[in-house]
Amino acid sequence: MATSKGSFSVEDMKNVQINIGAVVKEAEEWDQEMGPFPKPGVATLRDWDYKIMNRYKIMYAPADDTCTLCTFGPCDLTGDKKGACGIDQAGACGKIVLIACLMGCCAHAAHGRHLYHWCLDKFGDMKFDMGDEILVDSPLYQTIIGKKPKSLKDFDEGLAYLEEEVVQLVAATHTGQEGYFMDFESKALHTGMMDDLGMEICDLLQIVAYDMPRGAADAPLIEIGMGTLDQNKGVLIAYGHNLAAGAEAMIYAEKNNLWDKVDIGGVCCTAFDLTRITETGRDSIVPKNLGPKAKIAGAMGWWRKMVRAGVMDVVMVDEQCVYCDVLGDAQKRKIPVIATTDKIMLGLPDRTNDSVDQIVEDLVSFKMPGVAVLDPTKAGEIGIRVAIAVKPKRAEAKIQNLITEEQFKEDIKKCTTCNECAFVCPPHIRISDLIAEANKGNLEAFSSMYEICVGCGRCEQSCPQGIRILDLFEYANRQYIKNQKFKMRAGRGPARDTEIRAVGAPIVLGTIPGVIALVGCSNYPKGTKECYDIAKEFVDRGYIVVTSGCMAMDMSLYTDADGKTIWEQYGGAFDGRNICNTGSCVANANIMGAAIKVATIFAHRNHRANFDDIADYILNKVGACGIAWGAYSQKAASIATGCNRLGIPVVVQPHSVMYRRSFVGRTDKPEDWMTIDARDGKLQQVEPAPEAMLYIAETKEEAMLEMAKLCFRPSDNSIGRGIKLTHYCDISMKYFGKLPDDWHIFVRDVKDLPLVYKEDMMKTLESKFGWKIDWKAKKILSGPLRPADVSFDPTLISRKIRTKK
Amino acid sequence: MAAEVKKGIDTTKNAIPFEMAQIPGPEMAKTYMPKVLGAIIKKSKRPLLVVGAELFDDPIMFDKMIEMGKMGIPIAATAHSVKGFVDRGYMNNVYQIGLHPLTNYLRFPDWKGLDGQGQYDTVIFMGIFYKFANAMFATLKNFNRNVKRISVDRYYHVNANMTFGNMAFTPDDYHAAVDEVIAAMKK
Repeated sequence: MATSKGSFSVEDMKNVQINIGAVVKEAEEWDQEMGPFPKPGVATLRDWDYKIMNRYKIMYAPADDTCTLCTFGPCDLTGDKKGACGIDQAGACGKIVLIACLMGCCAHAAHGRHLYHWCLDKFGDMKFDMGDEILVDSPLYQTIIGKKPKSLKDFDEGLAYLEEEVVQLVAATHTGQEGYFMDFESKALHTGMMDDLGMEICDLLQIVAYDMPRGAADAPLIEIGMGTLDQNKGVLIAYGHNLAAGAEAMIYAEKNNLWDKVDIGGVCCTAFDLTRITETGRDSIVPKNLGPKAKIAGAMGWWRKMVRAGVMDVVMVDEQCVYCDVLGDAQKRKIPVIATTDKIMLGLPDRTNDSVDQIVEDLVSFKMPGVAVLDPTKAGEIGIRVAIAVKPKRAEAKIQNLITEEQFKEDIKKCTTCNECAFVCPPHIRISDLIAEANKGNLEAFSSMYEICVGCGRCEQSCPQGIRILDLFEYANRQYIKNQKFKMRAGRGPARDTEIRAVGAPIVLGTIPGVIALVGCSNYPKGTKECYDIAKEFVDRGYIVVTSGCMAMDMSLYTDADGKTIWEQYGGAFDGRNICNTGSCVANANIMGAAIKVATIFAHRNHRANFDDIADYILNKVGACGIAWGAYSQKAASIATGCNRLGIPVVVQPHSVMYRRSFVGRTDKPEDWMTIDARDGKLQQVEPAPEAMLYIAETKEEAMLEMAKLCFRPSDNSIGRGIKLTHYCDISMKYFGKLPDDWHIFVRDVKDLPLVYKEDMMKTLESKFGWKIDWKAKKILSGPLRPADVSFDPTLISRKIRTKK
Repeated sequence: MAAEVKKGIDTTKNAIPFEMAQIPGPEMAKTYMPKVLGAIIKKSKRPLLVVGAELFDDPIMFDKMIEMGKMGIPIAATAHSVKGFVDRGYMNNVYQIGLHPLTNYLRFPDWKGLDGQGQYDTVIFMGIFYKFANAMFATLKNFNRNVKRISVDRYYHVNANMTFGNMAFTPDDYHAAVDEVIAAMKK
């Protein structure tokens, strides 16, 4: 082991290779010195976490007043009482938050670990090369670990570090371990950062191994929608997040010239990653330009609709976001299921070591409803062969996918309007009203609610009459399903360094009003259309809009008056008035990575093992805001928490209260907004910008207004602040019918005022808020919280104070 | 006494959480008749009416809320519900604020209120997306029990102190019940 004095102790170790040359070489290749926090431990960045939490108060909304996690319980914690172990309600909430974040983090990290082994097995070690335009090629890895990976094998070090941290974090949730809520949250923030790392490793591994686009603003437009799957062919659906088996199916179809017999569609993030394969034409053992041959069937929220719509012949599940009853749903419709990873085996027999011919025969003859095959290559071949062979067999079996008109009419007559269904419906659809309209012969109500229904099926279970409510929806929307054909841009991967150079100054000065990141999955409060509406609002206004995963898919299902999807309306660059799809769920890391790259490429901050410095820069200077509008999973909770530790605020939708914790500032407490001026170390009160780290919005209108506000930063120059205030006020006027009550807080100088409102605002500042105005000179004499000062250098970290030599 | 109370709309039935699985623990809300809720609101010293965007689904409720506002109860218009008040030309004591930051303030005893006059002793929720309102009630229930939690919404709100039973499917009765609350406040 290395000691502090630089000597080495190698006792009890055999075959040790100490590669001094590599260390020296790394130092030479990287002009940055090692930062203060390489591979930070659980408590290393606790000071930074407390800085965040002291400003952005932890607010809990307990979903449960009791704790039932151990045999002392159940303990009643109502009113912040203590349980038998001594934990109080806040601590119990913090523990659940940490557990939720760990679930999310582990889902991504385990995905990354699986891909690591699979890629090395399939491709061997490869040079880690993101191309000439992405030199800061692993921003999170470098900021957290302090090293630059050179080959795929190098990522093992990052994964091993992450896995050790996760074990420590899980241990802290045991009864009798951590008990203080703020330390649970510090650990949750650490978990979020680990999640960022795991996602980045995962995406970088697959980008290099499968030759995916490396920051391609012009990534191809690909097909999305249930109507894109060719029903004259056998249809294989790859469902989940891990591309390994789905990619093997595509390779098998390509090598055996089977594309005229089979169509491959993806559900959820596997869909994205399949469409990204070998798009750049570099040397690869995988056939070139394979990706666009796959189609995106839809986001995970569409699964139950899709299986009922009869658009698939076989389904291959891998990992994450797979409904637990996938086998039962498929079995009813004689759709064979192939489980391809050990994360989800569904009670199916493990046939990994059986012959492909035998497995295909068993599935095609319906002897078995499904199998587990944990070898991706074998699973891929089976998937294709079964899809082709089972298609006619399913036709012979006359499988009824959609209910008939007669069955539809029979079912709707059974409704007694007891409304038991409405009591369990997440978006509170009044299903009995839809049925009443259908009984009058009007199916419009069922159509207009189709995208709002999240397809959970709780209504069917609660209906005392046994009405097949999801089937009613499918029948009423059968024409829509056939026509659901749209175009979206394939996942482009990270922002290029050149793009960051171009937008760095406008982002930091505020002349690009902000970076809006739309992430997350189904269960939107008012349906999928809200994804499109929110994205369109901000891209139209000149923000940089980035998106990923299911939200990117769902916003693709709508068009403008010319029939163009949002991807056809705007370019795909990391730039104002553009919208970029970074890729699948793990490609969210590229969004955080872009924020880091602004700090390191534009501002020349040393990011190497320097997490808190970079997060401090982003918090004070990079006007970015995430929105997880359909936070279905624990992964979304973890991603949001990771953003928060990096200084990026996030807006979430009202269902997200189930994750219990939010971070919101008190704008009435000046002491919470004291900031160090790094020029001289003096404390300066700043406007609450951003005012929250995790904000729960009730409606999309509120979300949009808050997102515009959360893009304010203390570093905005007057032009930038004026632009940001203009959008903030415009959105308020558009959806709220009035100016926001707090616009004046963000005014430091007349130049900050939006031109369109300037005169009225100056009058209001004088009459309502008592500011002194020199009307001749059009100057503010007194009133603002602080003067505009372009050289103000805000920081929360005292080591950033520049000392005079 | 009981017979006299029963003369109005019976808002004490159907005490089932509107999302059935929202069973928080041993302490669950009690249902009350409109007259009782009206009297309690009237008696409170610092009440705050908190309304949400579901009012747009039943616009007559804006008028009823304005009626309450005119009786001197300040209104916190959450989400984008303030537009309903702007459109009706009533902004006297209406404040635009998100339910989330509002609840954050409500849990701190030292908050000075939307008007700077001090913390509220009673909040009355209405027209807010059920799950969100339920969660914000849970915050106050667990972390600031000095604020009384009243719901005059059409749902049984399990984390309130005082609520109606579920009336989501009987809009006429619900409207009449809210009218009875207002009438009791005027007495």
